[in-house]
Amino acid sequence: MKIAVVGKGGVGKTTTASVLARGLSQRGCDVVALDCDTNANLGLSLGVGLETTERLVALRQALDEGEEDHAPSWDEMLARFGADAPDGVRLTTVNRIENMDPGCP
Amino acid sequence: MTSATQPVSADDPFEDGVSRRLRIAFVGKGGAGKSSIAGTLARLLAAGGEPVVCLDSDPLPGLATSLGIATSDAGIPDEAVEEAPEGERARYRLATGLTSEAAIRRYADTGPDGVRFLQFGKTRGHVAPLMRSQFAFRHIVADIDDTPWHVIGDLPAGTRQPFFGWAGFAHLVLVVAEPAMSSMLSAKRLARLGEGENAPLVAAIANKTRRDDDADLVSQATGLPVWASAPVDPAVREAEHLGVPIIDHAPDSPTVQALRSLLERLHNEERSSP
Ligand SMILES: Nc1ncnc2c1ncn2[C@@H]1O[C@H](COP(=O)(O)OP(=O)(O)O)[C@@H](O)[C@H]1O
Ligand SMILES: [Mg+2]
Repeated sequence: MKIAVVGKGGVGKTTTASVLARGLSQRGCDVVALDCDTNANLGLSLGVGLETTERLVALRQALDEGEEDHAPSWDEMLARFGADAPDGVRLTTVNRIENMDPGCP
Repeated sequence: MTSATQPVSADDPFEDGVSRRLRIAFVGKGGAGKSSIAGTLARLLAAGGEPVVCLDSDPLPGLATSLGIATSDAGIPDEAVEEAPEGERARYRLATGLTSEAAIRRYADTGPDGVRFLQFGKTRGHVAPLMRSQFAFRHIVADIDDTPWHVIGDLPAGTRQPFFGWAGFAHLVLVVAEPAMSSMLSAKRLARLGEGENAPLVAAIANKTRRDDDADLVSQATGLPVWASAPVDPAVREAEHLGVPIIDHAPDSPTVQALRSLLERLHNEERSSP
């Protein structure tokens, strides 16, 4: 099952996603939590802490800047760019803060 | 008219010249209180007889309510832009002869106390009817320094727009942060807007504080000076439920008071800067 949580800023998307992820995991599902927010903080809600949350963002950034190689498979991506969260959830960050270059509207 | 030719130093959020104008962008995590605060600050300025234009580049609603402008989704009409000639970087440019100032007068709504409100419109579905409007908005904002308005911008939640140059008009970026981990982490990331040459001054507003030391907490966690602090304020919630501006519903509420002090501070900085 693939679930996307969307909505206006500040309404509780991240909190909802983290509770869903951990709840499903507690009930025996294998759960991967994808943080698709450019301002990624699902890690904080899941409970991996500030440092790991920031490390995943930095890894994602390194990938974009060519300092890290892309993972050839889903499993390897989860291994290299993920972190273990409580209740057996595996977290990975698929977005990053944009650089300062002005872009299109 | 103000002079746009004189450079503005990074630690001076005001223009040099005769009439110095505020150029402020509000950024921060979703729900931190950007729209509530931006709208209220704009109304306070306007109530003092100052010319203010508010910029809303959020495709989701927010700012119109705190200003007291009957909500409208409509953006800037298509006529404001024309196709740019082949080979130009942008696909559209402002219609021939249309200046930033004229565009604001023509297309910005007028609200209470004469406050003006310019938005590129609200998303209605997958289709992108906002494209021309967004280009118009970007072009108007690019030259907004040449206009005599105080500018208060309300950006969408998060880091995307700010880091893509949408706060580029600002001499002062105010990061709104709640004393909560994720809000402060977002604010810390946004503090990077103050890095580099020609970067704006960046300061924080601690919002929805519960304890006396919450402002210090925000300052420590974000590395930013806190220029204003507003407590969790039932009046703000009430105003939101009633769909009326905070400043009309509760002009003496702690939030409005905090923003009055902020405005005073901004004016003082203006007087004390060379
Ligand atoms: N100081 C405050 N006290 C209580 N509620 C607040 C305060 N500031 C904002 N709010 C409420 O928080 C919610 C989000 O505010 P909003 O201004 O829309 O945030 P943003 O524009 O940053 O997403 C709204 O329901 C608003 O009424
Ligand atoms: Mg808003």
